[in-house]
Amino acid sequence: MAVFDTLGISASGLLAHRKWLDAVSDNISNINTATSTDKSAFKERYIEAQAVDYGSGKGGVRVATAQFGSGEGRVVYEPKNPLADKDGYVRYPDIDLGDQMAQLIMAQRGYQANLSVIDRATKSYQAALQLGKG
Amino acid sequence: MTSPISSIMSSFPTSGVGADMSVGTTTSTAATPGAGTDFASVLATSLDGLQATQSKADGLALQAASGDLKDVHDYMIASNEASLATQMVVTIKNKAVDAFNEIMRMPV
Repeated sequence: MAVFDTLGISASGLLAHRKWLDAVSDNISNINTATSTDKSAFKERYIEAQAVDYGSGKGGVRVATAQFGSGEGRVVYEPKNPLADKDGYVRYPDIDLGDQMAQLIMAQRGYQANLSVIDRATKSYQAALQLGKG
Repeated sequence: MTSPISSIMSSFPTSGVGADMSVGTTTSTAATPGAGTDFASVLATSLDGLQATQSKADGLALQAASGDLKDVHDYMIASNEASLATQMVVTIKNKAVDAFNEIMRMPV
């Protein structure tokens, strides 16, 4: 319903932040995924958000694409690893856990902020409807 | 003799719901019936919108029950919106019935 547009706009923000949380959890879960040196390492995932133009009559945000980081990673000397090449090297993804944690906090806070908007908007709409109940 | 409220009534917009409520004075031409949007069609449109909102929430509730729901917030927002839309349509309906009853109680 066009009357309650705020809810739909906040829902798009929730979806974008949920996808960001997915990307961060994917990055963290693969942070120790070793590959052999002739293959590319796990590529860090980034979410590229894009504003839906407000002038078009639809507000909100949408996830344009998922971008990928470098597959080069970092080469670590682990001769006991079964994936090691003849010189004893394996490839690890070059993901910074601290950076991922910072992104996790931002995504979580953004999700919560959108939920707060929905909460406030619902309360405001209900207060407006109370005018008609007198 | 002009109506004492004619100056107030003329300041009202003559489109929308209030169009058919305009009081015609003896000098002005009477409002043509059905010129604006009458209340019944406004209510019918609102009810159609309400039906659409509620069936969307119903579909998401089914997905939640069967485990096909992708986003938790989708269902919560849809049910929230359905509840708000119901409250709005019911409030509008109550107001209209109140107005009708008020007119019926008017001493003639």
